[in-house]
Amino acid sequence: MESSLLFNIATLSYLLAMVLYISYLAFKKNGIGKAASGVTYFGLVVQTVALLLRWRESYQMDIGRVPLSNLYESLVFFTWSMVLIYVIVEYKYKTRAFGAFVMPVAFLALAFINVSGVSAEITPLVPALKSNWLFYHVMISFLGYAAFGVAFAISMIYLLMDTEERGPTVNLAYALGAIVVLASLGYYMASLGERMKTAFWMGIGVLVLIWFIYLVTTGAKNRPQVFLFWSLCVTLAIGLLTAMGIDFFYLITLKHLAAGESFKKHMFESTFLSSSVSIALVSWAAVIGLFGLVWSQGMRLKNLLKQYMPVQDQLDDVTYRMIAIGWPLLTGGIITGAVWANSAWGTYWGWDPKETWSLITWFIYAIYLHARYVRGWKGTQMAVISAVGFLAVIFTYLGVNLVLSGLHSYGGMN
Amino acid sequence: MENKKGIVEIVAEKVWKFFSSVKLAVVLLIILAIVSVIGTVIQQNEAPERYLQEYSRATVDLFEMLGFFDMYHTWWFVLLLFLLTANLTICTLDRFPHTWKIITAPLKPIDDDVLKALPFKKEISFKGGMDNAREHAMKVVGARGYRIVESRGTDVLHLMTQKGLYSRFGVYITHVSILLIFIGALIGAFFGFKAFLNLPEGEAAKVVYLRNEPMWDKLMAAFGIAESPVILSPEVSVPAMPLGYFVRCDSFDVDYYVSPSGMPTGMPSEYHSTLSVFDLNGQKIFDKRIRVNDPLTYHGITFYQSSYGTIPNARGKIILNIRPKNDPQARGETITLDPGQSIYVPSIDRTIKALNFAPYAVRNPATGEVMLYQSERDEYINPGVQIEVYKGNSPIYKTIVLKTDSGRPDMPENYIISYRGYWGTRYTGLQVTKDPGVWIVYTGFIMLCIGPLVAFFGSHKKLWVRIQDRKGQIVVTVAGSTNKNRLGFERDFNKMVEDISA
Repeated sequence: MESSLLFNIATLSYLLAMVLYISYLAFKKNGIGKAASGVTYFGLVVQTVALLLRWRESYQMDIGRVPLSNLYESLVFFTWSMVLIYVIVEYKYKTRAFGAFVMPVAFLALAFINVSGVSAEITPLVPALKSNWLFYHVMISFLGYAAFGVAFAISMIYLLMDTEERGPTVNLAYALGAIVVLASLGYYMASLGERMKTAFWMGIGVLVLIWFIYLVTTGAKNRPQVFLFWSLCVTLAIGLLTAMGIDFFYLITLKHLAAGESFKKHMFESTFLSSSVSIALVSWAAVIGLFGLVWSQGMRLKNLLKQYMPVQDQLDDVTYRMIAIGWPLLTGGIITGAVWANSAWGTYWGWDPKETWSLITWFIYAIYLHARYVRGWKGTQMAVISAVGFLAVIFTYLGVNLVLSGLHSYGGMN
Repeated sequence: MENKKGIVEIVAEKVWKFFSSVKLAVVLLIILAIVSVIGTVIQQNEAPERYLQEYSRATVDLFEMLGFFDMYHTWWFVLLLFLLTANLTICTLDRFPHTWKIITAPLKPIDDDVLKALPFKKEISFKGGMDNAREHAMKVVGARGYRIVESRGTDVLHLMTQKGLYSRFGVYITHVSILLIFIGALIGAFFGFKAFLNLPEGEAAKVVYLRNEPMWDKLMAAFGIAESPVILSPEVSVPAMPLGYFVRCDSFDVDYYVSPSGMPTGMPSEYHSTLSVFDLNGQKIFDKRIRVNDPLTYHGITFYQSSYGTIPNARGKIILNIRPKNDPQARGETITLDPGQSIYVPSIDRTIKALNFAPYAVRNPATGEVMLYQSERDEYINPGVQIEVYKGNSPIYKTIVLKTDSGRPDMPENYIISYRGYWGTRYTGLQVTKDPGVWIVYTGFIMLCIGPLVAFFGSHKKLWVRIQDRKGQIVVTVAGSTNKNRLGFERDFNKMVEDISA
């Protein structure tokens, strides 16, 4: 298929763009920056053509449907929209500083799709998905997710730029200790049965929530805490992506899932939940190492980035704008989903887990907007809310499909 | 003289103040976001046995008490939604007069005090006369789509303008839209219902079985004002809602995807039923072929294709079509017969006997041989019928006709027999709803799409240009303000100042 060749070219372009953007940061040569942008534009055009070709191919196969309806296609589209939004931001704000952050995500996502072999086959649609609303619903939701993704990345940069010093090293020791204790407790409680496992996760949820609320209500004045929060978010983003990549690789190339067997049953089995104790220990050691690395090298990264970054006000403003774009899109995604559900089942809202999580995400960003408009909040605490919002987005997008069940389960891996 | 406030007024004021606070909105949003998670972790509306498999008795009892198994309909969750709506309404009412004042206020010339408070200002000395400066400023400002109001004093000229007043409405459009969605949902709950109907092929029904009864009917019945139309009959445990007409299932079928080589894949591509509507006198009104995503609506009640099933021990009827070989356009003759039954077909002077029916049969394209498969749940993935053809009483040949044939059936004579259906063994599962509030909800949806765009991407910008003649020296003061997008306005403002001084 021509489209897969083009997808590969796009993936390689994003890899090259990533290298160029990072070298641009390191060597400060304008020419490199221009080359990076050029390669990105090229990759975007190639990927656009590939998406259109794939659409046409589905018609040639007599299945005829929009290329947005399984995990493979939605990840590809997600990448595409993120790069598109990035290109617009780069053009409007005349800064290439974000490229070194956005392109790795784009490349990793595409590479992860290629390596993992998330089924690329154009499969026919089940009857419930045969609706014109599918296209609008998925496209609008994904554009929204992508905007939130960019907002998250910029919030992360904001929080880093905002940190004067990382605080005493004992903080790192506390954080690592907390990870070790909570992880051990988690394994122990999970071994006691399903109920204790749920209780554990609920407990973790409450702890994290208290932390967020503490950070936001104190106006994020406790800088070392904010830096810990930043380190955790970055570790989570890198760690989750890597662990899932290993999962895909392991499950699909080595273990060969039986057809129809659900991926979600095997999530993290090749790392944290491995039957081999040593592999699980190594995985946790890697997490701890990553956290330590992120925490201890954060300031160095900040100093490297400082000269390229626009003033903090502008970072804050771009985050707000991305959310101001993402929130109406998310609203549109929820609405088109509701209208579609009403035409298929006669119920525009059924409180299925994905719907509910998208509403939770919607609430979080609504809080962001109200806090900013009416209460005039700015800066650090807003960046924290934006990060929390994106964690909810990730859960809505991946977690619900993989962990919870409901109407949307057709978005899963098999 | 001060009016003593009554206790009612004081309480009302307190309540109003409480509900008009944005802090309350943020707190409610946080609480809603948190409690909503519960219902996504605990599966909703499962059978009680399922819960007992997962949780201990004590936990089930506790969850039951808290309503966690149908969390989104518990009184406390609905109360939270009510509070949010009340908050949003009162907050909106509280702020609107102020916004209205801003919108209707005429532009006033600026003096030095006002100027001090404005975020963007710049003084330029202009080479040229006053009229010259006026014309120049008018051109620069007018080019940006501002409509200009003028006011003249001695030695001073004010140009005033504003843009994007409409954007002040964005937040109200958004809030009203949420209110409309909430009202629409309430109307749906009070006057609408959700029901189901499993309708076997060939049968008609005039009631549907309720999942939830309209709240209005319940209330009316509870207060003894009006009798509920809902029928509670002892033979069916589920309450039934009369339709006021008959709906009949003429036929139901599942289509499956066919692989490029012509083999059925077993993956359903479409479920469809043909439904007919009759009035209570048995007069047919119309029919429609419904499928998933394309329902039938009559008198405000909508029938959605939602499931299907096999009727145990039902004997179906085989439907076949016979048409001449040399005329592919001919509609031919359709016959209906039981498995094992024979029928004489005059147009070809043959007797056709249907020997047996198979739900899943595939022809090997190379050998022409037909293989029979087992299908899950007895689904008719690719039905086939074995036929024997007689001339008078003597058998001539046997053949097999299939719904989707990846080869060619054996047809030695100058007519073609084809499979049309196996009728009367399945029922169509219909989801039936009445929701008179849905159009209000949809109106809310449309406004909710527009409102945030207006609120986020429009901004109310004001601009003043003051041209003063300070003893022969022309001084132009440009000042402006915006309620949103300061960075964008700043850029535009600086460019404008540059253009005016050029």
